[in-house]
Amino acid sequence: MIRNIFKVKKNSPRNLLFIFGILSLSLLFVYQGEDIDRYTIMTGIGLVFTIYISNYILGRLSSGDNYIFLIVTMLISIGVVMIYRIDAELGVKQLIWTSIGIAIFFASYLIMRYIRGWDRWIYLYIAATYIGFFATFIFGVRRGGAINWIQIGNITIQPSEIIKLTIIFILASFFSRRDEFGKIKYSSYYLMAVMYSFILLSFLQRDLGTALVFYIVFFLIQFIYEENRKLILYNLGLFTVSGALGYLAFDHVKIRFQSWLNPWEYIERQGYQITQSLFAIAEGGFFGKGLGLGNPDFIPVVYTDFIFSAICEEMGIFTGIGIIMLFMILVYRGFKIAIGQENNFYRILAIGISSLFGVQSFIILAGVLKMIPLTGITLPFVSYGGSSMISSFIALGILQACSEEIYLKDDNSDDQGI
Amino acid sequence: MMTKESKRIIIVLVAMCMMFISLIVYISYFQIFKAEGIKYNSYNKRLWIDEEKTLRGSIFDRNGKLLVYSEKNEESQLRHYKYGRLYSHVIGYSYREYGKTGLELKYNNDLLDISVNQAINEFKNMVSEKSIGNDLQLTIDHGLQEKARNLLDGKKGSVIAMNPSTGEVYAMVSLPDFDADNLRNDWKTISENPESPLLNRATQGLYQPGSIFKLIPAIALIEDESIDKTYNCVGKTVIDGYTIRDYNEKGHGEISLPQALALSCNTYFAEKSILIGKDKMGEVAERFKINKSIDFDLPLKTSKFPYKDSIGETEIAAAAIGQGKVEVTPLNMLLIASTIANDGEMSKPKIAKSIMTADGEVKRTIDPIIIDRPIDRITANRLKENMVDVVNSGTGKAAAISGLEVAGKTGTAENSSGNSHAWFLGFAPADDPRVAVVVLLEEEGSTGGKAAAPIARDIMKYAIDNIKN
Repeated sequence: MIRNIFKVKKNSPRNLLFIFGILSLSLLFVYQGEDIDRYTIMTGIGLVFTIYISNYILGRLSSGDNYIFLIVTMLISIGVVMIYRIDAELGVKQLIWTSIGIAIFFASYLIMRYIRGWDRWIYLYIAATYIGFFATFIFGVRRGGAINWIQIGNITIQPSEIIKLTIIFILASFFSRRDEFGKIKYSSYYLMAVMYSFILLSFLQRDLGTALVFYIVFFLIQFIYEENRKLILYNLGLFTVSGALGYLAFDHVKIRFQSWLNPWEYIERQGYQITQSLFAIAEGGFFGKGLGLGNPDFIPVVYTDFIFSAICEEMGIFTGIGIIMLFMILVYRGFKIAIGQENNFYRILAIGISSLFGVQSFIILAGVLKMIPLTGITLPFVSYGGSSMISSFIALGILQACSEEIYLKDDNSDDQGI
Repeated sequence: MMTKESKRIIIVLVAMCMMFISLIVYISYFQIFKAEGIKYNSYNKRLWIDEEKTLRGSIFDRNGKLLVYSEKNEESQLRHYKYGRLYSHVIGYSYREYGKTGLELKYNNDLLDISVNQAINEFKNMVSEKSIGNDLQLTIDHGLQEKARNLLDGKKGSVIAMNPSTGEVYAMVSLPDFDADNLRNDWKTISENPESPLLNRATQGLYQPGSIFKLIPAIALIEDESIDKTYNCVGKTVIDGYTIRDYNEKGHGEISLPQALALSCNTYFAEKSILIGKDKMGEVAERFKINKSIDFDLPLKTSKFPYKDSIGETEIAAAAIGQGKVEVTPLNMLLIASTIANDGEMSKPKIAKSIMTADGEVKRTIDPIIIDRPIDRITANRLKENMVDVVNSGTGKAAAISGLEVAGKTGTAENSSGNSHAWFLGFAPADDPRVAVVVLLEEEGSTGGKAAAPIARDIMKYAIDNIKN
């Protein structure tokens, strides 16, 4: 009897999430009081239902993992509530981005599922990545120190968000067809050169966070798949040396490092952001000051890079720890998907995407906590921003596709399958 | 059996999980051990929100001249120190980044109209969103303050002038100073300057007093009838194997206490201090608040005369002429002069005169208080006469003002820097003192009579001519 009561039914997480969504929205409405307009209510309720229905459809549509989307919608709910509380207009925009993101999630899932042969287009991915970089250099505008935005009309897009994905595709294509590439002499060195060129380009755009994400994702996949183990050591050594050179040659790298070591000394300038973030987290305590009762608006760029600090201030570090655990579970599910995937290409893709989520969230979370030097990147699914939201949802859609059995004769990995 | 690939995938997964767990551990550690410590940093704007709601009150001099005021702009307020340098040590400053000092700190609650009772504040916040703080009127005379700073310009040291009977401080200058209005730009140079411009030398500086300290053994001698007041000075004397010399080793001949003070005879006081004894000398000094704390609007260091330590005769003799282990603040010395001027009654020094509401109504007045009576009227009057002699015919001639009787004592204190401190302590007019003054020129390398006395004279003259009670 008791066991039956506690038995988790297949659809109960979806229902729980629905309740969570309704509760967090009503909390927001209470905070906003009479100022709230009908449009916002409609969008909010619309989103809760969209998420519920999406989960339902996904359950029907996909035979794969049904939890990653649930985890992500939970992260989004927390993020949207926080962004809305800081700036209602941005909150509504984020709701719209989320809806677009969900649509794109389904689109990318279906495209990945029905179009085959993704592993054959490595040169296309490489070309696309370079185009993305050079477009940024040519048309780019500087935002918050980094040149990583392109403005087209009223819309600004961040090519580096899409480049993250093409890089994972390059790695997956290369390592899944390594029998083929193995015939080319020094192919692994070429790959490393290409990857380092990407890292260097990001670095030159002053987008240190993204450069770090590229490097770690590359390193992890290389660690798993590169048979020439010496290369991994070379990679590590090269990164250390170039990192040290970058530190010595570029003032903005030095500043990041110094403001990490002792932000209090440079509190007026370089240390300002990180100390404001620490104040917010410290003020929040374990349970937070309560939604609308803190002052997250004191933190610069709070919607994007420092959204986690704002959440900790008003919802406490228990919610913060909740977010960390959600990312951990997401990464765990992603790796589980990878291990279960028979097809080499899709397996590497799943590892790449899970690592991307994990590394990116770790870098920014540890950054705003002053555990590591701060580099401005977004917290996937939580931070405000269309580019980030869309690229994260594309990645999630691909991961969703990877979680299914791929009925495809995998001619490259017959001898390597798990 | 697991393949190599699966094994490596698991390794990466474990590494990832460790990363996240380390985040959880770190954030918990931060919250438990670090959060409390950093919350109260003045850069945490949350601490300032309530203050920003209230327009900080203005500060005026004794004649109603505006010295400091705050101005509202869209989201915060800006404090203007109209005379940036002039009041840097008295009024101090109030900045988010650098905190508060001086009167800005001492009268913070009045300037913001914050009541000690929390409930009243809560109610006030409910009733009005933005309120206006109280104004503060000082006892400082802006003209004299400017005059004092001009006289001291280019030197290191301090000048304080006060009313001996009310304790009102008319001027207090300490140099080097800093521009309180421009702290954000200058902070680095100010805080790293080896001359410590942030230090208020008038209240926080401890100096060897030199001959102005001879007033202490002089009082002990006046009070003890049994000690012979005469002495034959030959320019130097040996006490316990240590030679004490007069200025240029010039002998003063057969002298008594008045001449000894007027000529500032070292050997006289060194020899007599042995007869007085260290306990009596220490007791007199402590009556004048040396080794004791004094309640004042600004933080005040305690002057030191460690006579209770096992000090030998040499040390006692050195102390009697203001050398050795004696260290005093200029304000404490001024209180000695002021007490003598005020017939032996010590007035509590004060800089704040009254608190007024924004409408100009007086909310609270800080009344003059006599805090102690270290000597009787007769002793005070005898000392007064002796100090008049110092200015009329002794080392303090440069402090004389025509048509007035000025009382004073000069001091030239040897110190470790090699350049002596120049001191002058005095008051005027001697028969009805209206102003007492202390001048300290740090490491001036000149005598008190030459360097400090003329400054004191100009200050006293200005105060008598211009300040009305």
